[in-house]
Amino acid sequence: MKPRNSGLDPVSGLIEDSLSGRLSRRDIARRGAALGLAAPLLAAMGRFASDAAAQDATPAAAAPTGEPIRLGAVFGLTGGMASIDVPGSRGALLAADEINANGGILGRPVELVLEDGRTDVTATTNATRKLIDESQVAALLGVNDTTYALAVAPIAQEAGRVFLTTGATGPIIPDVGDFIFMLPFGDNVQAAAGAEYAKGEGWTTCGLLTDDQLDFTLFLSDFFKQRFEDDDINGKIVSEQTFASGDTDFSAQMTEFAALDPQPDFWYFSAAPNEAGTTVRQARDAGLNQPILSGDGFDTPLLVELGGDAANGVVFATHQGVYEETPAVTAFRAAYEKQFDTQPETVFAALGYDGVRLLADAIERAGSDDPTAIRDALAATHDFAGVTGAVSYEEGSRIPTKGVALVEIVDGQYTFLRNVTPERVPPAS
Amino acid sequence: MTTFGQQFINALSLGSIYALVAVGLAMVFGILRLINFAHGEVLMLGAFTAVFFGASGWSFPLVVLMTVIATAIVGVLMERIAYRPLRGAPDVTLLLTSLGVSIAVQNAAILFFGAQPRPFPTPAVLSQQIPLGGGLQISGANLVTILSALILMVLLTIFVTRTRMGAQMRATAENAMAARLMGIDVNVVIIVAFAIGSALAGVAAVLWGARVGRIEPLMGFVPVLKAFVATVIGGFGSIPGAVLGAYVLGFGEIFLVAFLPQELSSYRDAFVFTALIVILLIRPQGILGSTEPEKI
Repeated sequence: MKPRNSGLDPVSGLIEDSLSGRLSRRDIARRGAALGLAAPLLAAMGRFASDAAAQDATPAAAAPTGEPIRLGAVFGLTGGMASIDVPGSRGALLAADEINANGGILGRPVELVLEDGRTDVTATTNATRKLIDESQVAALLGVNDTTYALAVAPIAQEAGRVFLTTGATGPIIPDVGDFIFMLPFGDNVQAAAGAEYAKGEGWTTCGLLTDDQLDFTLFLSDFFKQRFEDDDINGKIVSEQTFASGDTDFSAQMTEFAALDPQPDFWYFSAAPNEAGTTVRQARDAGLNQPILSGDGFDTPLLVELGGDAANGVVFATHQGVYEETPAVTAFRAAYEKQFDTQPETVFAALGYDGVRLLADAIERAGSDDPTAIRDALAATHDFAGVTGAVSYEEGSRIPTKGVALVEIVDGQYTFLRNVTPERVPPAS
Repeated sequence: MTTFGQQFINALSLGSIYALVAVGLAMVFGILRLINFAHGEVLMLGAFTAVFFGASGWSFPLVVLMTVIATAIVGVLMERIAYRPLRGAPDVTLLLTSLGVSIAVQNAAILFFGAQPRPFPTPAVLSQQIPLGGGLQISGANLVTILSALILMVLLTIFVTRTRMGAQMRATAENAMAARLMGIDVNVVIIVAFAIGSALAGVAAVLWGARVGRIEPLMGFVPVLKAFVATVIGGFGSIPGAVLGAYVLGFGEIFLVAFLPQELSSYRDAFVFTALIVILLIRPQGILGSTEPEKI
């Protein structure tokens, strides 16, 4: 095997730092991972560093040995959420590979057991039980949609296993119990970011389209309405239409919108990835040419693939992590492209990656893979440096405080506008 | 008023697509007493054919032609491979076989094409809005849908009522045994019924793709379910009944969304199926169905 990265300067910098004892073994492993180094080189450096420091006999990045630590990942690899859950699972696999290449967790290899929840509550439930009962995983992560996260959470809670949802944003998910954690912000945050963006553009009237069969879309619409009608924005929702997930024909709703006189300043489409492209396209077909706003449900390649030119002018609020050019993001994108021959398809890839790394970090800090010890360590997470932003769980809260990225579709490209932190956020419940 | 007219056009267009699918179901049921649930997979394969030829840069009319030829072949093959060996088997066996064919084709399609939806390359002409006066406008896709359904229904009626093959088809539907004794080649009649029904599903596939803009391996299920309901409403086995049922369904769905309070509009399918139950309670044979004594 050859080293993945031939950039000499950062490598020699790392060796220098480790020689002078400025870095712990974990830091070396982390920085090595960020540089995208392969196992042998790292292992050699690890040994070198510990020899130099003469502190510890066991080399940090030696090939992990012993009983693997099993992490269970449930994703909707098929069905309506596949366009975001497949990238999420890939990010998780990439992180597990990197951890193993860097010495594993507590010197033991990590084994990511992946199950397909098929975007179906029953299948998701069965997959979760299988991971807990058969695979005996130490902790669970996955599913990027609230409805399916709420299928996993009660089972994990009852079995006493940590469940970290990598992308589901319903702020009530952690209410299921003290083993349930969120990696992203809640819907109240991203809805507020959308409403405040509209305010900044000077838009005051809105037509709202909601998928009323999913928890995520209902939360998003609800929080958006609350924030948009708040006294400092004082916006007005002039029309509301609903549809059911899985619908493909939206002509009746779009016709009602097109008949509004006067037309609102913009539309807010609270839809899941599967309907993102189709709703936008049929809206434009019906002559709705105003800007369309949405949340992270629109962060899917399907938006442009199925929406085509109609997707231009769509702005959505989403997670930070693949759109800016920070060193962590660049390293992640390169590693992802190397493994999967494609750029991260959506930000959920980065969330999946961070999810596994956050759990690994918690297990390291817990010093064991005992489920309750993992929970306690995870709850005490402070400033974990993820690709999608820093994660800290405040006392008693299992939702991190994170910023929001605003992305606009320009000429069919997902174009980063800016990172924002909403001024006011509606209460989570 | 304009909104009403606009929704009327939407409903007419949606009903037209259901009608094209329902006719194929009704024709096959009339002759074979087979509820062909795999009809939706004919539609799905048609849509993928259209995308394949569309992506190869063929002009739109040629794409439609190739799709129709392809779906007709698929329908005939389905009959030859799955249904002919079961000729004379109980109705339930045929029904279960069609479900099996449906599931097998769906999963084969997922294997070959992948489960992710793909865009349907609608030609720009069909996305254009054409003003109709009085503030009304109609999209090219809706116009083509309504017109092609109308023309095809007229042609089909002429075929069934005025041609020799049409007469043979009606005779076979009436009583297959008697038709055979009169020298009608029932196999040919069945093949023609499958070919025509599947060709119409091919047209429906292109129109459906242009309307919703996406295709996927599981796309056939909902239209065939709706078409099934349409044929039940109209009277199973009756072609005019299937068409009527399809338009009832199309109007029901669109107008329920348009005029129900929005909290209820996503339950449109529940309302539609409730309507089905009510109609069957009042007229168990469907709107245009005839009550004939069970043949012994």
